[in-house]
Amino acid sequence: MNGQSEPAHQPNAFEKVVDFVDERVGLKTIQAKMLNEPVPGGSRWAYAFGSCLLFIFIMQVVTGILLMFYYVPSTDHAYASTQYIIHEVDYGWFLLSYHFWGSSAMVVMVFAHMSQVFLWGAYKKPRELVWLVGLALFGLVMAFGFTGYLLPWDQRAYWATVVGVEIMDKTPIIGDFMSRFLKGGPTPGQMTLSRFFVIHVMILPAALMGLAGLHLFLFRKAGPAGPFRGTPEQIKAKTDYFFPRQIWKDIVAMASVFLIICSLAFIEPVVLLEEATPDPGDYHPEPEWYFLFLFQMLRLKIFAGEFGQFLGAVAIPGAFLAFLAVLPFLDKNPERNIFKRPIALIGWIAIMAGILIFTVSAVLNREFLH
Amino acid sequence: MQPKLTAKTRCTDGEVGTVSKVIVDPLSREISHVVVRESNGQGADRRVPISQVQAVPNEEEIVLGCSSEAFGQFPVLDRDAYVTIHDVEIAHLEDHLHVEPGEILVPYPRLERGVPRRRFFTNMTHAIGTLIALPLVFPVLKYLMKPMYKPFDNSWFSIGNVRKIKKENIGYQFKFQKGFQEAFMPEQQIEKNIWVVKATPEVQKTVYGGKDKKFYDHKGNLIWMNKATSPYIGYSGKCPHLGCGYKWRRTKNFPDGVFLCPCHLSIYDEAGKVLDGPAPRPLDVLPMQVNAAGEVQVIDIEYKAGVRNQVRLL
Repeated sequence: MNGQSEPAHQPNAFEKVVDFVDERVGLKTIQAKMLNEPVPGGSRWAYAFGSCLLFIFIMQVVTGILLMFYYVPSTDHAYASTQYIIHEVDYGWFLLSYHFWGSSAMVVMVFAHMSQVFLWGAYKKPRELVWLVGLALFGLVMAFGFTGYLLPWDQRAYWATVVGVEIMDKTPIIGDFMSRFLKGGPTPGQMTLSRFFVIHVMILPAALMGLAGLHLFLFRKAGPAGPFRGTPEQIKAKTDYFFPRQIWKDIVAMASVFLIICSLAFIEPVVLLEEATPDPGDYHPEPEWYFLFLFQMLRLKIFAGEFGQFLGAVAIPGAFLAFLAVLPFLDKNPERNIFKRPIALIGWIAIMAGILIFTVSAVLNREFLH
Repeated sequence: MQPKLTAKTRCTDGEVGTVSKVIVDPLSREISHVVVRESNGQGADRRVPISQVQAVPNEEEIVLGCSSEAFGQFPVLDRDAYVTIHDVEIAHLEDHLHVEPGEILVPYPRLERGVPRRRFFTNMTHAIGTLIALPLVFPVLKYLMKPMYKPFDNSWFSIGNVRKIKKENIGYQFKFQKGFQEAFMPEQQIEKNIWVVKATPEVQKTVYGGKDKKFYDHKGNLIWMNKATSPYIGYSGKCPHLGCGYKWRRTKNFPDGVFLCPCHLSIYDEAGKVLDGPAPRPLDVLPMQVNAAGEVQVIDIEYKAGVRNQVRLL
């Protein structure tokens, strides 16, 4: 520094405050560490899914907190207070619809994120724990959908819960205890609503924040996997930092997601059915669309009877999740290129096709019932 | 210029050894000592205060301000009095140090030395933590389980009149309101429904198998008996598959009508028998009595869905 020819920079009040905090917190170091993470092979649109999930989750927290200003979790007020949000409170319909479509967006994005990680072979060593924590997060997202669905206390909500909890009941040994514990009694009622509410607004958000933090920490510790093609020199030559290129792609993706959810909330705002009651009337119970494939699967003859139900509702989904959990430990082949992993590619296509076929046939079955 | 951990150490009167370790003050994060391994004699590690370092002429060499005789007076390093920085967390230590990574040491508090002592404190901490948590397990579990198990309600109540049943072997829905009081909540009226069939003798036989159907309370005492020859049969409105509400429907395959559950498409005939679909058992027959005026009374029993045998819930 040449202090004589140039007058020394006098920090202004704001810079002084920043310096004061930085000295005690180490903000600049944290910021530098967060932003200056090398992305092997450079930024990509395919890496935006995780950031989008974080964005959707934050928006769910914001809209969820706003909904709680009016919502009352009791069987005699839940329905009325939700109707009040939709019909009386300014922009209540929009916030509720955003929250509703946001949950669907979350599920879609989780599928996209998991598929990307799977196809890129990014679950392999040394990222086994990132994948495992990710699976737990997937479970939390599904649990969010399931518990949130009951809260409006309309017929749709009630019956999805009745059937969902009955399915849980089919778990051997602990099933009966679990379903009674969740319902807070032998049949759904106020206790069920209270429990689902607490789980939805306290337990799951806390668990998700903790696990998402761990997920990010483990991801940062292991570093991004990068592309599955190219020599180390080629990848190194294209590498850039998380900031600014990847952040730019992430923010564009987030804005697109935001616009899509807003559009859905405008085009298809939430409309409640009649208030929940143990008589379904003319309503044909059905779960939310992302559980439809499971619902349709349980209609099959091979899943009939007590054992069939256990097989379809508990054993097969459970075994599939367990398989996903041990996948990085079974699949030790370091090859990450999906086009050189035929079993993985075919397996992924088969599962996606299966889910699609079952979902579509559940939708087609609606016609048959009317 | 920073000395390498292998830097040669010279005294005023000649070379005495090489730097082998560096000791850091954990608070100031400054180097307090260098450890020099003697090149002659026992090859002991001697702890030299950093103030003795007079010059670092190049990366391979440091110069001490004392004689080699004085160097021999410096204390020998007690290795057990120190731990490496891999064992402790000192925030931003690396930011302050620019040594080639080697073994960097900080003093090990005297009280913490000795493995048995450390292990004792570790175990004590865990034990006390467990002692705090353990007495909470049972109360918390009981607290959460309070509403899970309820006594069965075996009272009778009216659901309507059989006058509305015009034809035999057809399902008629009886909707009714039931007072439902839960925990602290005011009593609420909830809508429920039961299906009643006026059965021909053949259907009665399929349902009862020629035997009276007995109902017991949780202690095993008989509370009611449906006569095997009673024409009116009431089915719980809850589908035995997964608990949805089924309907009496005429379909292309069953023009006379069947009970059809819209959820998972279980189909039952007028005797409650499973004709198709995933249901594990027939429809649940309820205790029912019809008086001379045709008033129907039932006990609203609910069974667990999805299991082969009837397990009573309500």
